[in-house]
Amino acid sequence: MSLPLGAFELTVERQQIPSRLVRMAAPTASVAFGLLVGAVIIWASGQDPILAYTEMAKKGFGGRLALTGTLVLATPLILTGLAAVVAFRMKIWNIGAEGQLILGAVASSGVGLWLGDNGIGGPVGIVLMLAAGAGAGALWAGLAALPRAYLNTDEVISTLMLNFVALGIMNYLIFSSFSHWRDPSRATFPVGRFVDDSMFLHRFTGRLHIGLFIALAAAGALWWALRSTRWGFEVWVTGDSPRAALYSGMRVDRKILSVLMVSGAFAGLGGGIEVGGVLGNLDPRALSLGVGFAGIVVAALARLSPLGVIPVAILVASFTNAKPGLQVLGIPSEIVTLLEGILFLCIVGGEWFLRNAVRLQRRAAGPRPVGVEAAPS
Amino acid sequence: MNGDPTPAASTAEPETSEAGGEPQEAARLHAITKSFFGVPANDRVDFDLRWGEIHALLGENGAGKSTLCSVLAGLYHPDSGEIHLDGERVDLASPQQALEHGVGMVYQHFRLVDRFTVAENLALGHPETGFVASRRSLERQVAELGRRYGLEVSPKAAIWQLSVGEQQRVEILKLLYRGVRILILDEPTAVLTPQEAQSLFTTMRAMAADGQAIIFVSHKLDEVLEVSDRVTVLRDGERVGSMETADADPAALARMMVGRDLSTRARSRTEAGSAALSVKGLTADGDRGIEALREVDLEVRESQIVGVAGVAGNGQRELAEAIVGLRRSKRGQIFLGDVDITRTSTLQRIKMGLGFVPEDRMRTGMAGGLPLTANLALKAYRQPPLSKGPLVSKRAVEERARTLEKQFDIRGVRWAMPTSLLSGGNIQRAILARELSARPKVLVAAAPTRGLDVAAIEAIRQILLDERDAGTAILMISEDLEEIMDLSDEIVVLYEGQIMGRLDPDDATPEVLGMLMAGRTSDADAEADAGPDAGPDAAAESSGDSA
Ligand SMILES: Nc1ncnc2c1ncn2[C@@H]1O[C@H](COP(=O)(O)OP(=O)(O)OP(=O)(O)O)[C@@H](O)[C@H]1O
Ligand SMILES: [Mg+2]
Repeated sequence: MSLPLGAFELTVERQQIPSRLVRMAAPTASVAFGLLVGAVIIWASGQDPILAYTEMAKKGFGGRLALTGTLVLATPLILTGLAAVVAFRMKIWNIGAEGQLILGAVASSGVGLWLGDNGIGGPVGIVLMLAAGAGAGALWAGLAALPRAYLNTDEVISTLMLNFVALGIMNYLIFSSFSHWRDPSRATFPVGRFVDDSMFLHRFTGRLHIGLFIALAAAGALWWALRSTRWGFEVWVTGDSPRAALYSGMRVDRKILSVLMVSGAFAGLGGGIEVGGVLGNLDPRALSLGVGFAGIVVAALARLSPLGVIPVAILVASFTNAKPGLQVLGIPSEIVTLLEGILFLCIVGGEWFLRNAVRLQRRAAGPRPVGVEAAPS
Repeated sequence: MNGDPTPAASTAEPETSEAGGEPQEAARLHAITKSFFGVPANDRVDFDLRWGEIHALLGENGAGKSTLCSVLAGLYHPDSGEIHLDGERVDLASPQQALEHGVGMVYQHFRLVDRFTVAENLALGHPETGFVASRRSLERQVAELGRRYGLEVSPKAAIWQLSVGEQQRVEILKLLYRGVRILILDEPTAVLTPQEAQSLFTTMRAMAADGQAIIFVSHKLDEVLEVSDRVTVLRDGERVGSMETADADPAALARMMVGRDLSTRARSRTEAGSAALSVKGLTADGDRGIEALREVDLEVRESQIVGVAGVAGNGQRELAEAIVGLRRSKRGQIFLGDVDITRTSTLQRIKMGLGFVPEDRMRTGMAGGLPLTANLALKAYRQPPLSKGPLVSKRAVEERARTLEKQFDIRGVRWAMPTSLLSGGNIQRAILARELSARPKVLVAAAPTRGLDVAAIEAIRQILLDERDAGTAILMISEDLEEIMDLSDEIVVLYEGQIMGRLDPDDATPEVLGMLMAGRTSDADAEADAGPDAGPDAAAESSGDSA
């Protein structure tokens, strides 16, 4: 591919895989570059970039309250990030983490309330409650997985549509019915019924609860499973070439099913942890903020690495956490959104530069037309 | 798509550059170096090409032929070195630019758009064609070019309806239509039947006679000697030498390529054992839902190689896929030993000792984007020592890969490199390494030596024979008649999904085989009991089959 620029032209050539060191260093460099670009834009918009950045860091990480707040926000992001990682690894485009998370929250709160009504609580209750969340997320994803595996329908559409269905179910349970989930004592302004106190996830300090460590363990487990198990090997091969997978005797349909269900389980667990660790009830407003979609961005930024999801989710969460505080200082919160976008572009762009050699050179003699044609690989 | 209108190139006379009468240089590559991962695939290679000549490029797998061609075609940018076209130094930044200089390459894997017609594919990417407006004139030009160079194909046919040979003609037509005068053909005959290869040679000669220049990559010495004017030999990325084809002899060329003499193998036979693979009345559909395999009966015994000859597209792929479980069979039965495997899974068949070297190496035989270590473990990852319970040992996977790499002499492997970047021959070695290391009872091998260099072909044929001697039953599907006749203990000919005849290799001549492959059963030529007398149905006679 080449692009004429006067007497020069820009050429792009696909190149070989860069060394391990370069690949490790690249994302850091991309982030640094992104922050630099961000600084220029902040400066150009009349703000002080140094101030903005220090405030962002302070509001995101400075002090116990800021730090725990960020980590609490990061917890569901890690899980929806993992949901995207595992599916995208096999080129299954699950964009239904949002709905899977919601359904996980519905199931968790439902089971939590039911257990409480029947006098079961404490650790047993918590385990059952979270398991219900993960299970519901898995089944919800399974609804999209079955037709994908056996009829080869497009999972992008089905998982996307199921998001709306899940949202509808949740809203119906709280706003449009007197369901098991709704608090009957609040007639005018509908809210969800709270689960028993004994079912709240253990808190350490501030709002930091044990859910973070569940999410970290989930990331570790996925990393290990992809790297060291036969299942992980099969996901790897199937993601690259389904035909080669079939050829070597793998069951591709089952792999699609299991991968989508694992993906849904992560998201559903995220929903359950939100209920047990933060909300205490089924709260439609708090559960439809787009954590599922943000997980896709997190996974992409982490370059589909399960462990990479952790720092990325924390960084993204710190931005979210810093937003309100910045506004107080007169720095518009859009700056944060903008910065997120810039970082995303820089990391994705950095990835592209790793794989393609770009050079600017003097055009060879003689005028010649330039067609637009992708260089065959 | 844009661009200054260039003169309609297709009918321009290439002779213009031969003004001086003397054969003039069409292209000269000077000291081209191109490295991958710090290892040179081309190391200061000089190469020159004259107008009106067919210049063959020879070399072992991984010698750097494709790399050199890709440099001239603008796909790769050399690390150093110069490219002169028609006496002028150029810098080719993209295949597009090379095309503008009249250099075009037909890659081994075609880049045509399946659903489009021939004419549409030609129009695609052409700077000056308005898509609909000039359709009629386009079709006329295509027909005209086709006639001129013996490249007849119907402009209105959709690509997927064409055979591989016809698709290749479209590729060439596409380049000619875009005004290419230096044509690079990278292993064009590897996908062709002998007849198709002959017709390609006719085209090449017509083009050369017209003053155009052609680079022809092939591993087949006969072809090189038959069609080329000059030969250049590469070895390990360096140029060993060039010579007039008239002065070359096969042994000398082979020695130049591999750097040593090749041994010739004496034909041997072993006593076949009991039936290891039996196929009875097998009928299966092809990809388009049309019956591609009809009532096929086959038997391969232990220590026996049964060769399946036939022109590509006569059911070979379907036969192999049905046997290994990648294609459903509509009727009939398949037995491994005396176990009916017609309905068992691919995995079960693998576990029962069925190995498969598929024709499509890049997507079926290998997961191209994965490193070779993973690909070599594709089947073995389920058993110890590679797996421990539900786990796969990374170290064992890598160790195994290193062993196989050495044992089968797979070259050019680098850390984490996608397998698809290996040279064609080395990919094939790797597939064989994986399949044979599983010690199969039955091996189905499709085109086992396609695209390999002479030394590798020898090596792999020897491996197959050794494997047979060790008791493996081998079903070898090949379009290479010499290979069929050389290795098989029994030959069957497949034509339009049916078995056209069964022969003893001692009775098989290229003529007899050719007749059967063309669907003719005239027994006048077949001196032996080989020729079936009453069409395909007679095939059943030699095998005791049940319904
Ligand atoms: N894009 C690439 N990235 C990395 N290595 C490459 C690439 N292309 C080629 N190579 C390596 O360069 C060497 C030469 O390869 P090349 O494809 O030119 O060989 P070849 O002579 O065409 O062999 P064959 O007859 O098997 O096709 C091989 O070792 C191959 O693995
Ligand atoms: Mg090659």
